[in-house]
Order: sequence, then structure tokens, then C-alpha cells
Amino acid sequence: MLASGLLFLSSGLFLGWSLGANDASNVFGSAVGSRMLRFSTAAMLCSLFVILGAVSAGAGASGGLGQLGAVNALAGSFTTALAAALTVSWMTRAGLPVSSTQAVVGAIVGWNWFSGSATDLSQLSRIVATWVVCPLLAAVVAALLYLGGAFLLRRSRLHLLRLDAGLRLGLILAGVLGSYSLGANNIGNVMGVFVPAAPFPAVILPGGLVFSGSQQLFLLGGLAIALGVYTRSREVMITVGARLMPLSPFGALVVVLANALVLFVFSSQGLSDGLVGLGLPRIPLIPVSSSQAVIGAVVGVALLQGQRGLRQVRWGMLARIASGWVSTPVLSAVLGYVLLFVVQNVFGQVVFEPPG
Amino acid sequence: MNPGSTLFAKTRSLELRIDEFLDKVAEGGILFERGMVLLLERGLVPETEEKLEQLIQLKERCNQLRRRVMDTLYSEMLIPEFRGDVLRLLSNLYRLLDSIKNVFQDFLIEYSDVVSGQQSIAEAKELVAVVVQSVQAAVQGARAFFRNPEAVRDHINQIRVYESEADGITVRLKRGLFASGRPLEQKLLGRDALAVIDGLADLAEEISDELSILAIKRAL
Repeated sequence: MLASGLLFLSSGLFLGWSLGANDASNVFGSAVGSRMLRFSTAAMLCSLFVILGAVSAGAGASGGLGQLGAVNALAGSFTTALAAALTVSWMTRAGLPVSSTQAVVGAIVGWNWFSGSATDLSQLSRIVATWVVCPLLAAVVAALLYLGGAFLLRRSRLHLLRLDAGLRLGLILAGVLGSYSLGANNIGNVMGVFVPAAPFPAVILPGGLVFSGSQQLFLLGGLAIALGVYTRSREVMITVGARLMPLSPFGALVVVLANALVLFVFSSQGLSDGLVGLGLPRIPLIPVSSSQAVIGAVVGVALLQGQRGLRQVRWGMLARIASGWVSTPVLSAVLGYVLLFVVQNVFGQVVFEPPG
Repeated sequence: MNPGSTLFAKTRSLELRIDEFLDKVAEGGILFERGMVLLLERGLVPETEEKLEQLIQLKERCNQLRRRVMDTLYSEMLIPEFRGDVLRLLSNLYRLLDSIKNVFQDFLIEYSDVVSGQQSIAEAKELVAVVVQSVQAAVQGARAFFRNPEAVRDHINQIRVYESEADGITVRLKRGLFASGRPLEQKLLGRDALAVIDGLADLAEEISDELSILAIKRAL
């Protein structure tokens, strides 16, 4: 049972590995790329806090995906994650900017379509809205952080060396917060579709602490992300700085911090409840794309620099990202539908349990 | 001790070294001015020789400081974006101090009698004062680069004004020299003496060009 469970989890673990390889650069890429932090230190901190975030706070964003469609059979979860992973892999190979969140959402809709389950359209529209809101929010947060930070730094007249030490420490702390938020938010992409059909029973730890089946899943997913960080993220981290526009160390800190805060906003149950308590709308807790948050933050910083900054932004890439909001989920949904058909009819696996 | 406090302790010690380096270059300017005034007013006296000795010691201390700063910046991987720029700036300031010492030494050996007459001595002292002000403005510009990059522009402007003033005084002194009835070999020696003093302001101006680029890089 455990062996077959792990086999079925392999597509999710692959997604996790891929996430670690690519998205760790969004939290520590600037620090490593600008040689302010060694890769070994960045990889260790990133892995540790991704796992911590996934296990302790992964339920919120993962639950948000579950409201879209509860994939209730392990073979179905495997196929859904596989469809998402293949979509991400193909689009990356084609050089198109892709978000694993959008691929997973598309694959879940594909499963709903195949299994005849209704797709919660209001939840789907909330999710789609976050794809647009996430980079916009990151741009606004980055611009505000940049303005505030630059004002304070000008007033403080710190020595270049002290400023460098402060930025280095800031990049580490922002990277740690970013890693925690990445784990809490994006573990939903990696393991969210397996939660309703979790193959692990809850374990009671010494002291009476309950380590639930979904937390065990998140731990496995976190470990897969950590493996991706250690085995594949070094090159991505080293090249990430120059991808969109050149950034100063202060600009890099602002981008990393804005990314971390935006991911945190879309993962924090406490923050969402707090806003509801104040009579404000609830924040949908769903996985968002950290790459797109970073791109939004970089554009936010560029806009502050006027025409000089705007000229440095690669606007073509932004247009391709926007087109990915449609093409990624559609491709993933269709692929998911086809794969589910194959797994059910060729391999004879149960890919969904009929309701009731 | 946690890594954060270690990092800040190293940073503080490096800051002190850079500040001491800049203090020494500024001190070199003062010693040069005092030495030249002594030379012009009293000729080769023990006090003048003493100034050369002080300049030599300053230069050695600056060289030590520059090397220590370089070692620390590279071994501790500090300011990766500005490491090369900082080392180039310190090297150019060191070159300026070295030139100050060489010019003073040349004056003691080759040009000790070249300036004579009340008027010429007064104008030579004025040239030295303006050149030293350009050196001090270069040191202040370098300090501003580290702490207040927006102020670098003011110092760059001062250096350029002093350099231009030094050129004007040099031309005036040369005209007076060649209009005098002194032997040709003295005129040529005097011309060279003026050129080496004026050359210090040119070196300060080269540093100002570098500072203007660094200030743009450092702007947030």
C-alpha cells in the first residue's frame, strides 16, 4: 500500500522537484546571483524554511485548491499532477513563462470535466483573479517598499560597508520569509491534489501532537522541493538577476521582500481572518506564482525609475506571461482529460470515486 | 557570537581602516603645503626635511591600509558590486599621495632655488594652496561616496574649480618666469617645477571623474 502510494505520489514529487529547481531562485536568486550569499547557505536556509512553511502552514492554500475540485482517488491525483507537470515541462522547454499554479488549476478542472464533477465557478473566478492581482499587488508592494526604504536610507547616510552588511542580512531574512511563504503557499501545487485521497494515516507524536496525513504529504512535498533546490537551482539562481532588468542590491532586497509578502498574503489564514474581522473581504488562500510575483515586483521598481527603468524592462515577456494565464490552464485541462481517459481505460485504474 | 554581529564587527573595523586611509591622504596634503611654505620662505632647513620624512611614513602607512582593505574585501566577500570600484578609488588616492611625496622630494632635490622674489614666492604659495585644496576636495568626495553619495557632486565641482584655478595660476607664473631676465636653464627648470605642482591638481581631477561615475552607480 505504502509503495503504491509513493508510486502514485511520484508525479507530485516531480512537480515539487521542479518547483524547488526554478522557484528557489525567486527567494534567494538575487542574493546568490549578486554574490552576497554563498549558494550552500542559501540552499540550506531555503530548504529548511520551505519544509517548515509547507508542514506548518500549507493547509490554507492547499485547501483553496481543494474547493475547486476534490480529486478523490489516488490514481486520479497522480494523473492530475502528471498532467500539470507535463504542461509545465513542455511550456518551459518551449521557452514560455509558465506557472505551476495555473497548470495545476487547469488539471483539476480537467479532472472535474472527466469525472463529471461540477467546477465551482466562483472559486475558479477567484483563483483566476489572483493570477492578475498577484503581480499587480507585488508591483504596488515593491514600489512602496522601494520608496520607503530609499527615503530611510538617504536620511540615515549609512556607510557603504554598513549598508552592504545590512542589505546582506536583509536578503537573508527576506529569503527566509520568502522560503517559508513559498512552502506554505506553493505546497498546494505540489501536494494539493493528493490531500483528499491522502494515503497516510495520522501519526500521534510524543507529547500528543498529531502529524496528520496531509502534513505527511506536505513534508514529502517539501523534501522534494528541497531536493530540487540542492540539485538544480544553482544555475537558475546565478542567472536570475539579469533575467528581467539589472537590479542594485537594494532593488533586489525590495523584490525578494515584495515576493515574500505577497506569497504570505495568499497563504496566511490569520491575516485573512483578521481582514474579515475588520469587515473587509476575505483573501482567497490559494497557491500563486512566485515567478509572476517577482516579475510584478521588478516592474514596480522599474516604474519608479521613470523612462530609464521602463526601457530596461522586457515588455515582450510580460505579454507572454499574460497569454500564459489562458494557454496554460487550457492545455493542462485538455491533457489532464486525455491522461485520465488513458489511465482509466488502458491501465484500469480508478481515477475518481463516484459521489455518494 | 552570531554571524550578524560578526559581519557588523568586520564591517566596522574595515570602515575605520578606510577612514584612517582617507585621513592620512588629507594629512599628506597638509604636510605638503606646510613643507612647501617652509621651503619657499626659509629654504632647505631641518624642518623642511622633516616634512619629507613625515610624508614618507604617511605613504607607507597608507599602503599598508590599502592592502589590508583589499585583503578583507576579497576574503570576506564584502560589497561585491563595489569591491573593484572601491579598490580603484583607494589606489588612485594612494597614487595621489605618492605623487605628493614625489613632488615634494623633487623640490627638495631639484627645485629648491627655482622660485625667487617676493611676488613669485607669493604666487607659488597660492598655487600650492589651490592644489592642496583640490586634493582635500578629492578626499572629501571619496568620503561622501562612502556615506552620502548625493554630496559627491558638490565635491566634484570643487575639484574642477580648483584644478582650473591651478592651471590659471600656473600660466601666470610661467609668463612671469619667461618674461624675467633669468638664464634659460633656470626658466626651463622653473617651468618643470610649476608643471609638477599643477600635475597634482590634474590627478585630483582624474579622481573626480571616477567619483562622478561611482556616485551614479551608488544612487538608489
